[in-house]
Amino acid sequence: MAYVALIPLLPALAFAVLAPLSRAVRNRMRWVGVAGVAGSLALSFAAFAAVWPGGDEGEATYRASASIASVGGVDLALGILLDPVSAVMLIVITVVAVCVQVYSLDYMRHEERIGWYYAVLSLFTAAMLALVLADNFLMLYMSWEVMGLCSYLLIGFWHEREEPRKASQKAFLTTRVGDVGFAIGLAVMYATTGSFAFDVVLGSAAGWAPGVATAVALLLLFGAMGKSAQVPLHVWLPDAMAGPTPASALIHAATMVAAGVYLVARALPIFEASGIALTVTMVIGATTALVGGLLALVQFDLKKVLAYSTISQLGYMFVAIGAGGAVAGMFHLVTHAFFKSLLFLGAGVIIHALHTQDMREMGGLGRRMPWTAATFGAGALALAGIAPFSGFWSKDEILYAVWKGHHYVVFALALAAAFVTAFYVARLWFRVFMGAPRTLAAFAGHADTDHGDEDHGGHDGGHDESAADRRGETRWPMVLLGVITAGIGFSAPFFSEFLGHAGHWPDPMIASVSMGVALAGLGAGWWVYGRRAGAVDTEAIKARFRPAYSALDAKIYFDAAYERLAIRPFIRVTESLAVFDRIVVDGVVNGAAVLWRTATDLSWGFDRRVIDGVVNGTARLSRSAGVALRRLQSGRVQTYQRYVLGALVLLMLLIVVKGA
Amino acid sequence: MLPLLTMIVFLPLLGAVVTALLPKSRPDLPRQVALGVTLADLALVAILVARFDVSGGFQFMERASWVPEAGIQYLMAVDGISLPLLFLSALLMPIAVIASWKIDDRPAFYFAMLQLLAVGMNGVFVALDFVLFYVFWELVLVPMYFMIALWGGPRREYAAIKFFLYTLFGSVFMLVGILALYLHPAGGTFDMIALADSGLPAGFQWWVFAAFFLGFAVKVPVFPFHTWLPDAHVEAPTAGSVLLAGILLKMGTYGFVRVSLPILPEASASWAPFVALLGVISIVYGAAVAFAQTDLKKLVAYSSVSHMGFVMLGIAAGTAEGLNGAVAIMFAHGVITGMLFLLVGMVYERTRTRTIAEVSGLSKQAPVAAGMLAFASFASLGLPGLAGFPGEFLSLVGAWRSELIAPGYVIVAAIGVLLAAAYMLWMVQRVVLGTQSGTVEGITDLTRVEIAILVPLVVITIGMGVYWSSLLRYVDPAVGALLASMGAM
Repeated sequence: MAYVALIPLLPALAFAVLAPLSRAVRNRMRWVGVAGVAGSLALSFAAFAAVWPGGDEGEATYRASASIASVGGVDLALGILLDPVSAVMLIVITVVAVCVQVYSLDYMRHEERIGWYYAVLSLFTAAMLALVLADNFLMLYMSWEVMGLCSYLLIGFWHEREEPRKASQKAFLTTRVGDVGFAIGLAVMYATTGSFAFDVVLGSAAGWAPGVATAVALLLLFGAMGKSAQVPLHVWLPDAMAGPTPASALIHAATMVAAGVYLVARALPIFEASGIALTVTMVIGATTALVGGLLALVQFDLKKVLAYSTISQLGYMFVAIGAGGAVAGMFHLVTHAFFKSLLFLGAGVIIHALHTQDMREMGGLGRRMPWTAATFGAGALALAGIAPFSGFWSKDEILYAVWKGHHYVVFALALAAAFVTAFYVARLWFRVFMGAPRTLAAFAGHADTDHGDEDHGGHDGGHDESAADRRGETRWPMVLLGVITAGIGFSAPFFSEFLGHAGHWPDPMIASVSMGVALAGLGAGWWVYGRRAGAVDTEAIKARFRPAYSALDAKIYFDAAYERLAIRPFIRVTESLAVFDRIVVDGVVNGAAVLWRTATDLSWGFDRRVIDGVVNGTARLSRSAGVALRRLQSGRVQTYQRYVLGALVLLMLLIVVKGA
Repeated sequence: MLPLLTMIVFLPLLGAVVTALLPKSRPDLPRQVALGVTLADLALVAILVARFDVSGGFQFMERASWVPEAGIQYLMAVDGISLPLLFLSALLMPIAVIASWKIDDRPAFYFAMLQLLAVGMNGVFVALDFVLFYVFWELVLVPMYFMIALWGGPRREYAAIKFFLYTLFGSVFMLVGILALYLHPAGGTFDMIALADSGLPAGFQWWVFAAFFLGFAVKVPVFPFHTWLPDAHVEAPTAGSVLLAGILLKMGTYGFVRVSLPILPEASASWAPFVALLGVISIVYGAAVAFAQTDLKKLVAYSSVSHMGFVMLGIAAGTAEGLNGAVAIMFAHGVITGMLFLLVGMVYERTRTRTIAEVSGLSKQAPVAAGMLAFASFASLGLPGLAGFPGEFLSLVGAWRSELIAPGYVIVAAIGVLLAAAYMLWMVQRVVLGTQSGTVEGITDLTRVEIAILVPLVVITIGMGVYWSSLLRYVDPAVGALLASMGAM
């Protein structure tokens, strides 16, 4: 089964092939990227089949390890662990990655750096696959960081514009704030167990001092919060939407942002040993689920609605794990990966067609783009939690786990978030697909093709036909994801059993409550946005709830607070330190040189003339530094040279004389 | 068997003499001789590496009496800690020669000095007799002084003298330490191997450590002894900056590992919290000041202060992880910062400026240069998979494991990793991306030669970042032997 190692290696190889090529060649060779992930997809299915039927039989189906260093007698390794959880993740990642890469063939075809796009996409996929196959925390962390790099490169893909440039930096730094916690967590873990291996660390976690377990768990959680955009480290994800939409689908919806959830699920024994860390996870998840949902309500940018929705849904997954329903959390990760990437791919088609991301400029697309509307609709219903679409099943399991754990407050929060989710889904749907077209582009008809134009860089979209469905490469990935979204929910009980837990069909009470809430949310959304135009005056609602709306509109002040309390003070401190360094620290040095010259009595045992000469020279030079930029006369250089060599000889003599 | 180490150390001396004697009528000869000599030296080091036995302790030992009256020996050997640094020195030399190819002001003198520098650098890493060590240590100052003073920037006089006197000031204390060890009844020798077994009393060690500390700390440099570094870097020619950051700084941290830890183990333990404190201050302070710089070279110089702080933290930890990490950073920083200084030099040659605001937006005009700069920046900020990561990670883990260092230090140091990302990305944002500035307009991208001297460094950066053992297989056994010899520290 050595082929398992090829699963991450094939895309990595694709990157290694593409990266050193010249731009023109690389652009032609993008099929290498597609071939890489396609190979991974095939091998992932083989690996999945090998793990089948899962459960305890699937545990550690395959292991392999290669040491990359031996430090103090401990081997640090890149190791593979194939078990049911990683097998599921492999399928999710490779299916979405293949869909995104194929979709991008059409979507990105006008980009002059499409080859680089494919190279980075491949490296990202390799890192994500390595992450889920890792058998130790060190390798997981390394893949984690490489993904962060790819995310940075793709968010900033159109770096000629300022917005993507800033967003990429913000994303890298914000997630790195979390990574500081992750890294310290690794250090504590290693100091406690002398290993990073899952076996050793997780096997012994139950026996750690409770304080240590809590510390490690919370530090890992902090890292996960950065990567998975949990409050208060969520601020980077909406901005990350400045990248190409298919990349958002893969990285910022389906896979990378879910890595935090995966980390916590993997490290569950540590969280369980702590206890309190589980509660913290749940509270942060619930807060994020609600806050993300509320923020999605007030967005007009189609992609930002989806971004806040992702934040909110990731919060759901943390709630599940915190409530003891790790399998439910993982199932939601899987269903969300499919339906959210589907929604993003749909959004990409719309953005390309209309040249805008502003929902206020859309409308009536349902008739014009039936394929997009149908597939997007499946994703939207899944997100809202309507049976039989996949999101219903996984959300139901999460609510069930929370209820069974007697966390009634969190249950109420989760239901509120579910209502809000359904509401913003309805808002999006009616604004985009229903009603009357609000712009000429949305009205379709005119074709403003600009295929011959060379200046394509800089816009996500901005150069395509009109409000019409796309063909081929764009359509079938969406159809595939749509079919998965419609059908995968029925696998819920089998999914649990595959991961080694008892499976069950939805609990009638919870299912009816959750469906009721979702329908209520959709209904309320229809009431406001779905009836004839102007039936409800949204401005009046905004005015009535002005303080709340202002807060949401200002992203609940998180960004502003970071700007004012952290970033600007930091810049001020660095500037003062730079001045301090020049005036005080260096001033002491220059001052000492001046003093030294005056205190010629002070002798280190040098020849008096040497000290005098050199010091006089220095002091003079220091004083005139930065004022007069005189040319050095060669005569003086020779003098210095003599002094220097003289000093060395004298020092040598001193040693010899003292020694003898 | 051939005296390989002697050949490695003194071949550049021969080259320097030959170069200095070359006729003035042939200004292209000096650089050719220098390139030939440094490549030959690299080949010799490659043979050394190939023959090196990773578990063999000190090897290729050459021992001869030098000044028998004072017990001074000609004693050289390498172990797994000095070997990587010797290799780094030999590797960066030909690169420095090629980077200096366009020097036309007194080329014979320049290339003679460059080769003389190699003698000192190689010598420091192989000398095991204190007098020999000291001679090489001071020898390094002279050529570097001239390189800055004669081929440097506008404030070169000031920077050169400051560099020279500051480090000389430090090494005087080192000399006091050497003499103290020699004059103490339990010491009585300049043999560094013998001194490691001498069992000096702890109180005496404490004072000797203080003396060595000043010598090494200035060289590293550790806050607050660092202000000579930005000046020296800014004024030095590109090759000078590459070697200064790549090798000269490592002499300081190497001194801690080679001298302080084995010879003064008790004092090392009692000084560890203080050393760690200065290390952590250097990490955060260097990063913060780097963030505020407007000059590219100064930014890289202050980033060096920050990175060397991680080395100090790893050394202070005194654990296997910490020391492996320390040596790993020394090596990686030499490679990565070498790349950064080379690139800054290449950009400077084209634009005649290093002000960040004036060299913005490279990526469109010079994509290869921009890509290389971005690569080196990500390596520098410690991205896993590249060479900067293993060292910083291990030194953090080692420091956390150490009983000598408070956890708070490690947490602050870890924040330094975040700051490194901040100042590096902020630089990339402006220089690599950013809107193209007027000075950048019309510049040419890197030449083949320029790419050729960067490629080996790129390859090493990736190789070591993915397969840590490529370096640590030499380091770890030597660190194990060192820790064992320090015994119950």
